[in-house]
This record gives sequence, structure tokens and C-alpha cells, in this order.
Amino acid sequence: MPASSSVSVRVPVEERLFSLVLALLATKGGLTKQEILSSVQGYRQHYALGGDNSNLERQFERDKDDVRELGVPLEKTDSAGQTGNNQNLRYRIPKGDYDLPRDITFSAKEITLLELAGMVWREQSLSAQSRRALLKLRSLGIESDEPIVGYAPRLRIREGAFEPLSSALERQKIVTFDYLKPGESTPQTRTVAPLALVQHQGRWHLHATDEDAGGNRTFLLSRFVGPVRLTGRSFTPTGEGHADRALNELEQIWCQNVAEIDVVPGTDAATRLGKQVRGSTTTTAMAPITVHYTDMNVFAAELASYGPEIVVRAPTPLRDAVQRRLEKIRADHERPHDG
Amino acid sequence: MGEHTYPFHAQDKLVFLLALVPYLMDHDRISVTEVASHFQVTPEQIRAAIRLIAISGVPGETNQYLPGDLFDIAWDDFEDNDQIVLTHRVAIDDSPRFSAREAAALIAGLQYLSALPENANRDVTGRLMAKLSRGASATPSELAVAASQTDESLGLIRDAVAAGTQIKFDYVDSRGQHEQRRVDPLRIESLDQDWYVRGWCHLRQALRTFRLDRMIDLVRTDKPLSRREADTTLPDTFFEASADDLSVILELAECALPLIADYSPEGTEPSGVAGRVLTSVRVAHFHGLKRLVAGLAGTVTVRSPPEARLLVADWAAAGASHYDTA
Repeated sequence: MPASSSVSVRVPVEERLFSLVLALLATKGGLTKQEILSSVQGYRQHYALGGDNSNLERQFERDKDDVRELGVPLEKTDSAGQTGNNQNLRYRIPKGDYDLPRDITFSAKEITLLELAGMVWREQSLSAQSRRALLKLRSLGIESDEPIVGYAPRLRIREGAFEPLSSALERQKIVTFDYLKPGESTPQTRTVAPLALVQHQGRWHLHATDEDAGGNRTFLLSRFVGPVRLTGRSFTPTGEGHADRALNELEQIWCQNVAEIDVVPGTDAATRLGKQVRGSTTTTAMAPITVHYTDMNVFAAELASYGPEIVVRAPTPLRDAVQRRLEKIRADHERPHDG
Repeated sequence: MGEHTYPFHAQDKLVFLLALVPYLMDHDRISVTEVASHFQVTPEQIRAAIRLIAISGVPGETNQYLPGDLFDIAWDDFEDNDQIVLTHRVAIDDSPRFSAREAAALIAGLQYLSALPENANRDVTGRLMAKLSRGASATPSELAVAASQTDESLGLIRDAVAAGTQIKFDYVDSRGQHEQRRVDPLRIESLDQDWYVRGWCHLRQALRTFRLDRMIDLVRTDKPLSRREADTTLPDTFFEASADDLSVILELAECALPLIADYSPEGTEPSGVAGRVLTSVRVAHFHGLKRLVAGLAGTVTVRSPPEARLLVADWAAAGASHYDTA
């Protein structure tokens, strides 16, 4: 049932992309751009023989990016000895790099776990990535051993900086952003090469090479002020295991920072801050506990939310930060609003 | 769960087509409904994909997309019996690899879930992560999530959900009050580091959400559930709204709106101060609100009603008073 070559035929985007992938998978030596535009379904309907095809060429450029974004290894190769001559560039998708290796298989139990892992992301691009990964997994035809009733785990991404950083990380682009350092009131502009995005203690961090500081630094995403901007420059990442290293560093900081806090037993603060004070619900006497934290100001905000249920004993800067916050809230809410 | 239908964009549709073809190649004959249930999409999405696959192919030697260059299906089986029989295939032999970001998304999800009682055996997670890496077309992006911390109560509730039995516990609500609860556990949910159980509360005779870290003396009982998840529609919004909810006007920095997203703010209007807006949220009582606002000093203030402002001011003043004399 060959499609008509009439211009009036509207070929859906997915049909054009599917036809492009099929054509490039089937070719051994590759196809030139002219061959693709003039012969592949979805392009050929709009191809002007000997005419101006610049719109169609731009379309092809966008399609290539879309296809590559899905993990399809769409290659550009130079014909031997013809380097630099655009007319001889050829495109293809090598089967060996496209096919999921046959020895990669999953048990029913593993499929169940992966389905659950994919469910963790409900928003932004990670949700779309997981859905696509799960479609590819289902392609293997393995049924999960039991339906995942009973669990609905979820990780949130509330920071607007996550999405542009994730894209810059993937495309190895250098970015700049304004960052509010703990204890400072005016943000500083940082220029960094993103190496990893990690979530620790429920908070997202960027691990990156800071060009001005001349070393690797970890930034808390909730301290970003304003948008993340692309510099137009790229970088080549060196080494691996950046994400694990960043998580280990954050874990160390968390272990080193210890607060001494008195907590009213039986309160929400007591339940949330530690299991140590659980159970002794009859007494109203303050019970001392020690709690770890990563970022003093972020922790001060959490502690302020507990109001009179806690008193910070140490360290002094944390104690002062909590007191200042409580006084600010009291001042902001003292009288009925007169507006 | 997993039955949400998402809007399919062209890229998603392409992935779906590339995933569907190898699956069909492995099945000589299969019904549309069976494929739909396996891929967790609607039968109509399967039929549309099959119609597209059946007219697709490669340009071929003639560049004319002749019949031998195209996929083909047994049309009668498809049109009359809703059965899929792939009779000719081109170009595709195997499932596609994962993209670097797809593999990374699943790997980070697995890391987060490594705290589940099912995953006590770390080898399983590690092996799976290695397989995903090897099955990706490029090294997975550097994305990592620290395992969420859980305790034995998660395992106990999970067993109760699986066995279909009720649980009992002493619950501390956000006001610090204790009550004995008997609950049909329907689903265990999490939000970042916090774990919850949603279920039918026999005390309130209503669906309720309970935080695991607010439960004391949790025990499993032998009593079977009085309701099952299938009989009960669990709303997607995490916290149940009620007609008795109170409306509160908040003033906040516009960029802080995501911080109160859980409270489903209803629209915004200018506050008169540059960069700050007014919005309204509905809450069951002001006690949860005072904690939220106290945790966002200077970012969010309560405009009205006056009793909510007073409650926040008193809460902060009582907290601050601990420090005045020290």
C-alpha cells in the first residue's frame, strides 16, 4: 500500500520519524541527505527536485535530534577520502549499536522492580524518560511476576533549575546561574560545567566544576536565584562516578554537622526529628536529642517550623538562625494585615 | 496504579512503535487487548499503531515503497477478530537500547527504592543497574538518589497490604494529639524521604493518609480488610479535601509558589509588592499551615483570615520565647 507522492498527503510526525529510523537501519553504506529527503516517507512528499529544500533540511535536522534523544545511535559518516565535502556525508543507524544486546534479559521479579522504579518519577522530563524506558522493557515481552499493588513511591522535583541543568548535563554544556551562598544576602554569578545531579536527604544538589573557583563544588538547587543560562560553550567531562562521590561528600557533611536540640516529647517535632524520644509521651519535660544536618540555613528553616516544640542548644549559629526566623515570622504576623 | 494514560507525543509514539515491532515478532498471533494490557495503553492506541506499522517500511531499491519493502499483517484477522499476526517485517530485528537519560532515570529510581524490604538483597539492585548501563546507547547520565531511610514498620505494613489484613496503631496528629486507629491499609506511598500509608480509617469511617513516622505501637491484626483498593477510588491528590476546609490568603514571592504546591494554590493576583503575589489555599485546620509558614520565614506570610495570622504569630512567639531568657 505505497503512499501517494501527492503534496496534499499529510504524513503524521511519528510516521515520518518511524520511516526515517527504518530507512537508516536498513542501509549498510548510509544515505546522503539528498537521498533521505527525496526518498523517505514524510520528506519525499515535500521534496522539490532541483528546487529549494531548505525548510525540509531544517526539518531533517530537528528530526535527527529527536531520534538521537531517544537513544537511537544515528551516525554521520564521511565517505573515504572526501572529508569536508558535505555532499558526501552519509547517515545511518548501525544495527549493532541500535539493538539491545541479546544477552541482556530480565527476570519477572526484576521487571516488577523496574516498573516500580519507573513509577518514582511523576513530573518533568524524568517521568517521560522512565515511561520510554518502560516501553522498551515491555518490548522484551516479560510479564512482571506480580502486579505492583500496594506501593506508590514518588520523588519530587520542585526546583525549576533541575530541568535546564539535567539537559546541560546530558549535552555537556557549560552554564551560568546566580547562587545565594549560605549566610550571604546577594547572589553571586557562577559559571560551571555540570557533572552530576544528586538527591540527598530529600534535596537536590548539582555537582559541577566551578570555573572561577577552579575546582569541583556542590550546589543546593533551592539556593539558585533566577534562571539557568547556557553559555554556548561545551566541555568534555573527565572521570566518572561523580554522582557517587558527590553523595559521599554530602553524607560526610551531614555526619559532621551535629545539632543539640531539646524536644517536647509526644509532639510532631519529636516524631519527625528522631525516634530516640518516641514512646515517652506522658511527660512534658524537654528531652535532649542530637540531630545531623547538611545545610545550616535549610535546617534552621525546618526547625523554625516546629515553633515551641523545640529549643536549639547548639551550635550557636544554628540557634541564632532559628531565633531570627521565629522573630521575623512573629513580626510579619503580629497585627491584622492592614491592606 | 500505572494505569494513567499520558498524552503521547510524537517521540513517545516513535518509541512505542520501535518497542511494539519486536514484541509482535515474538508472538505469532496475539489479541489487541492482550498487547494493550502488556504495554499498559488503550486498545485503540494499539490499533492505531498497528495500522501505521502495516503501511510502513523502507524505500527499497526502487525508492517506491513497494509491497516487499513494507511490513504486513494478516488484515482479516486484524479487522474481523482484533488479532495481530505480523506476516512480513523489515529493518528491525531487536528491541532498541535505552538512551543514557532513560537508563539514568530507572537507575536513580532503583537507588531510591533500595530501602524497601523487598530489596534487602543489595545484589539484585546492583545487578539490575549494571544491566541497564550495558543496555544503554551511551553511559547513563550522572544522576543519583540516596536511599530513603525506612524502618521495620514499612515491612510490617507491606505484609499487611499483601495479606489483606488490618493494622492498628497509636497515631500522633499534627497537633500532637494521640488516637488509637484501626485501618485497612490500601497503599503505601512515599514523597521523597517521607512514607505514608493510605487506607480506610475505621475510627473516622473515611479514607485517610497516615505518616509512618507518626505511628506508635504499630501491630498487624488477623482481621481481614473491610475494603479493598479495587472497591475504593483513591484520589490522586495526596490530601483529601473536604467541604469544611478553611480558605486562607497567602502573600508570597512568586518564585516560591512551587514550595506550596502540595496545598494546590488557586490562582494568583498581584500583591502590590514587586515580585510578590497573593494566592489562596484550602486547609483542614490552621495548625498544619502555621508549621508551613513558620518554616518559610520572610518567603510566605498569611494575609487573612485574622485568626490564622494570630495563630502563626502565637506559634512563632511561643518558639521565640524559649530564647529570650536563655
